[in-house]
Amino acid sequence: MISNWVGFYTLSSREVMRFFSVWKQTIIPGVVTTLLYIFVFGVALENRISEIDGVSYKIYILPGLLMMNVITNATANAASSMLQMKLLQTLPELLITPLSSLELSLSFIIGGAVRGFVNGALILLICWLAGMPINNLFFTLLSIFLVSWSFASLGLLIGQLSDSWDQLALIQNFVITPFSFLGGIFYSIKMLPVWAMNISLVNPIFYAISTLRYATLGVADASFKSSFIFLVVFATLSTVAAVKTMQTGKKIRF
Amino acid sequence: MENLGIEIVNLHKKYDDVHAVQGIDLSIKKGEFYGLLGPNGAGKSTTINSITSLVKPTSGNIKILGKDIVSDFRYARSQVGIAAQELSNDWFFPLEDLLYYQAGFYGVTRKDAQQRIEYILEKLGLYEHRKKKMRMLSGGMKRRLQIAKALVHDPQILILDEPTAGVDVELRHDLWKYLKELHAEGKTILLTTHYIDEAELLCERVGIIDQGKLIVEDTVKNLKSMVNKSGIVIHTKDRGLNLDQLLDDFKPSITHNRIEILTKTPNIDLPKIILKLSENNVIIEDIQLPQASLEDVFLELTGRKIND
Repeated sequence: MISNWVGFYTLSSREVMRFFSVWKQTIIPGVVTTLLYIFVFGVALENRISEIDGVSYKIYILPGLLMMNVITNATANAASSMLQMKLLQTLPELLITPLSSLELSLSFIIGGAVRGFVNGALILLICWLAGMPINNLFFTLLSIFLVSWSFASLGLLIGQLSDSWDQLALIQNFVITPFSFLGGIFYSIKMLPVWAMNISLVNPIFYAISTLRYATLGVADASFKSSFIFLVVFATLSTVAAVKTMQTGKKIRF
Repeated sequence: MENLGIEIVNLHKKYDDVHAVQGIDLSIKKGEFYGLLGPNGAGKSTTINSITSLVKPTSGNIKILGKDIVSDFRYARSQVGIAAQELSNDWFFPLEDLLYYQAGFYGVTRKDAQQRIEYILEKLGLYEHRKKKMRMLSGGMKRRLQIAKALVHDPQILILDEPTAGVDVELRHDLWKYLKELHAEGKTILLTTHYIDEAELLCERVGIIDQGKLIVEDTVKNLKSMVNKSGIVIHTKDRGLNLDQLLDDFKPSITHNRIEILTKTPNIDLPKIILKLSENNVIIEDIQLPQASLEDVFLELTGRKIND
């Protein structure tokens, strides 16, 4: 359990301050990309694409875009903070302190989760201003938080096991991004052939988008209850995986 | 043992096919200034990184102030400050913040750390640079910052891994002076170095480590006396008398007017030799007392030079 509370608080706030200190790189890009999507799909393509589940296409894709931003930011923050500390030799200065593996992991996860959540909340505001309804604000924010937390945990795990920026980029480009696109940002998985639909059913990002789509628009591919439970289980498992990996000391203690 | 700062028992570390540390035992008393001397790759860093748990030993036990570093890791780590050999870097925060963070990791609140951090910044000549980020610091300043980080939580034990590697002469002397002060305050200091003069100047006891083994440890003075190289060199005005016969007791080697005598006790032998030469009207032009160095000790024990 956590007992070095001062240390835990210090590292968590360092992780949060780290990304706030470079907010132009960590907060603005997500906001700008979302505005571009809204502009392109809303102004240019709106009339050429039909509605999905009775929702205009421009609005239908917003929860997915929001989740993609949350996922990218949360993963990138924890992963790059860990890898950067490793490469810049600051990690040993952290590992020699009386912080337990649990305290270390949770602090990195909090950093990533806060960045994911801040991005998510800002984009939610933009989406709302662009006309996206928010059916249930509580579950909207809760699902953003859960997804943020889960992917921050995975990011930490990836960061710990990576040796270089190349490896990190490889995972971002060939795992996270494809899974996001295949999770149903731009379409309902009902539009897919059966085999592709079945694959989507084991993609955590599909449930992340589905939960948020239901909490905001009131429509979704999976039932709200099952996708929400999936997210809670996924968050728990990814946290345990990150903490356990930290405890092994793999690639950080030799 | 109550009065030990660091206690290492039978430490082994194997990396795949390399047996980097092969059964090291080390007991460093509280308040002692101990030097671990050895060539690059001898196992010095592996040993000290085992103390700070950056290295997971293959076998062996380590205690800090009597507490095990695994079962009592919070206490053990809170009592140790370490300045690593590799300089760290940070892109985000001014160095003052870095020190507050470092203190925080050890459980020291910002308020409690303030006075100490200001003192350390001042002491290490970093106060005026406290608002700068690390990329604006010179190499020497980064080295000082690293030592400052090791001291923020006021540890009883300070471990310095090659603290003066790549540091200019002036800064090296400043650091030595500061380390002496810290030692005088009662800190236990473990220093690794491959600079002979550094170990000779600072350390009360020195352990020489080579190929993963501690091959000898003793005070600098005792180590030097192990080597029969402390000697006396005398130049006389002319060869004159039969010097060989005259100084037969001291087994001199004489070439022209140069007499060289190897002895472990030059302070006792020198007056006798001077007396003998004077009695026989040999005029002495010059006397030298070349000292054995730890380098000679290393050479004698391993047959190699330390920095080869």
